[in-house]
Amino acid sequence: MKYIPLVWAAIMRKPTRAVLTLLSVMVAFTLFGLTIGMNATFAKFYEMAHNDRIWTQQRFGGASGMPKALAAQIANMPGVSQVSGMGFVGGYKGDPKNRVFIWMVDDQMGKVFNEWEITPQQWAKLRTDRQGILISRIQAGRWHLKPGDTFTMTSPGLKKADGTNTWTFHVLEVTNEISFATDGFMMGNYDYWDKSRVLADQGKVVQLFIKTANPDQTAALAQRIDASYANSATPLQSTTEKAALDISNSGLDFITIDREIALAGMFMVLFLTANGIAQAVRERFAEFATLKTIGFSDWGVIGLVFAEAAIPSILGAALGVGIAQIIASLVPRVGQGIGGFPMPRVTGDVVLYAMACAALVALISSALPALRLKRMDIATALSGRT
Amino acid sequence: MLRQIFIVSALNFRSLKGRFWQSMVIVVGLGATIGVLLSMMSMTVGLRAAYDRVGDPGRAIVVSKGADSEGGSSVSRDNAPIISDAPGVAKDVDGKPLADRQLNIGVPVLRTNGSRGYTTMRGFGPKGVAVRPEFHMVKGRMFQAGKRELMVGAGAQSMFRNMQIGDNVILPDGNWPIVGVFTTGDILDGQLVGDTETMLTAFHRTAYNSILVRLASRDSLDTFKKALTTNPALSVTVERHSDWYKKISGQSTRILAILAYVVGFVMAIGALFGCLNTMYAAVSTRAREIATLRALGYGAFPVAVSVILEAVVLSVAGALSGAAIAWLLNDGRQATWGVNIFHLSVPPAMVGLGVGWAIVVALLGGILPSIRAARRPVVEALRAT
Repeated sequence: MKYIPLVWAAIMRKPTRAVLTLLSVMVAFTLFGLTIGMNATFAKFYEMAHNDRIWTQQRFGGASGMPKALAAQIANMPGVSQVSGMGFVGGYKGDPKNRVFIWMVDDQMGKVFNEWEITPQQWAKLRTDRQGILISRIQAGRWHLKPGDTFTMTSPGLKKADGTNTWTFHVLEVTNEISFATDGFMMGNYDYWDKSRVLADQGKVVQLFIKTANPDQTAALAQRIDASYANSATPLQSTTEKAALDISNSGLDFITIDREIALAGMFMVLFLTANGIAQAVRERFAEFATLKTIGFSDWGVIGLVFAEAAIPSILGAALGVGIAQIIASLVPRVGQGIGGFPMPRVTGDVVLYAMACAALVALISSALPALRLKRMDIATALSGRT
Repeated sequence: MLRQIFIVSALNFRSLKGRFWQSMVIVVGLGATIGVLLSMMSMTVGLRAAYDRVGDPGRAIVVSKGADSEGGSSVSRDNAPIISDAPGVAKDVDGKPLADRQLNIGVPVLRTNGSRGYTTMRGFGPKGVAVRPEFHMVKGRMFQAGKRELMVGAGAQSMFRNMQIGDNVILPDGNWPIVGVFTTGDILDGQLVGDTETMLTAFHRTAYNSILVRLASRDSLDTFKKALTTNPALSVTVERHSDWYKKISGQSTRILAILAYVVGFVMAIGALFGCLNTMYAAVSTRAREIATLRALGYGAFPVAVSVILEAVVLSVAGALSGAAIAWLLNDGRQATWGVNIFHLSVPPAMVGLGVGWAIVVALLGGILPSIRAARRPVVEALRAT
């Protein structure tokens, strides 16, 4: 501790260099916080996915949907505890750029997704009001809606019995968010969707959500469901919720990309820090010789050099991840209205990881100068003939 | 003046060797920045290129009114001939219109890395190949109309499992063998292709997804569009094929591009601080040398310019090495995102973008140190140790 003033004096000897190094390290760690934090978000997604749920849709798509009767059939399969069916109204409000996507859910939804923070009263309201919608805070903010407001939208893709393509809803309640809907959600009543469609399209659902009785059997059950319908008129494609929310199924390996970006930043910082330290030691070689002369051990001097490297890199790392955290909390979402993109989460692990990287950068940076100091010939160094 | 700039700069660069590692901070900083920027942009550029190529401006696509995807569109059997026979459509050598009735169906696939995804299975009508001169056989043979057979795109074959000739794709009415491999050099390379009418039966569909036509000439779009939109029997949207794909690819490529620019921008700021650091150090190391030049009568301006020039040269060297690494790692590599298969791409224009960024960083990072170098009183600098 008593050597801190010594280290501090060494750092502040070239204030411009110290400040610029710190800023550079800080920026690199901001990026580190954002990218590695993004991976933490992906991991959280996966972790939050329930292992007792299956998402089922038609194997080969299909414009109008699959028979609603499938829900009842699957509910009777052994190992299934609940099945909920859903339709969608996809379209826009006013301008085609203002995309809207409304889930039209049946009354089993709350049982399958029982962790959602939607109260029984809110579900009851939705069930009794055909044109009602529950909307989350994000969507309420986006469209400036409050309970009692009317929301009208256009859905060019859906064929309605009345020949129009407009859908009118009224807002029942504003609810809390749910984990995987990063862009918020709007939830309407299945019956409104179903009964508004042309007769040929009625009695159908687009997606089924299945809750299993035994989480260990979820994957096997998903396969069994698909096998049972493989040769039917509506072959199914069932995915466990874990797999559905696994980022690696998106095709692009975002996790590796994030790591590589963070690594590139670290490489930059390492080079910068190593150079700064090497230069500082070179400039003050005679001073280190003096320290040794007055009794500092090899390791004592090396410790001073390490501290000189570690202080800006650890401080920069702390500031950097701090800024990443601020950015992540200030910008709630990117890509609003086009599915939304989750924001990075600067978790304790991310901070720890950043600190470890910063310490490693300091360690590698001070290694060569330390070796030089260890091998220094004090007399030569003091004479300045280095 | 120019001569002075030249002489002072030459002196600078000759002394670079003595400041090698320090100068490398700029090279590495910009190298990492531009390497990351171009690697990320290679996704956007590659995806956009795959979509741009498929969107031939000499073709038009007809979808149901307001549809924003082929999957979300349907064109009935009755309407298909009205569309094909409309004015503005080119005729094939046999006198029939060059119009193709397309189906567009999602099929689950297993990627070679084991992850699950979807690709598009596309139905070709009798004129499917004639409308697409970019369609070439690679291996095997064409699927036969009326038979339950499929062809696989070259990209799909390499990115998905079980897509070799002889493998079967399980569809609702049984196994469909893969009989050939094709390439189009665009987004279709990641898809499967079969006969539209046979697929309609297999999937219990009653309508096509879209009609793709070759226009009689690029200018016949208006004639064609007018004929269809004024026909009360039809409710369709007509778009030039290239515009259609620009719209579709726009969203996904925009997200990737924004991410690339944000990351590139943050890294550039980090590199900027590194550049400032190095240039300040360079100026202070060379303080005496600069002062000597000034004492000999060299102007402040050439000295300042030489400092900026050094920053620019180092930064551009960094950018070029970063671009080279990005090119080596990514260019031509096949990638998938969602249902798309495309080749990552680092074209010369992107290298130019990288160099441009580097020059901006160098100018910002060189200007303050250059002012310090030029302003420093000669006497004081000469006395300094």
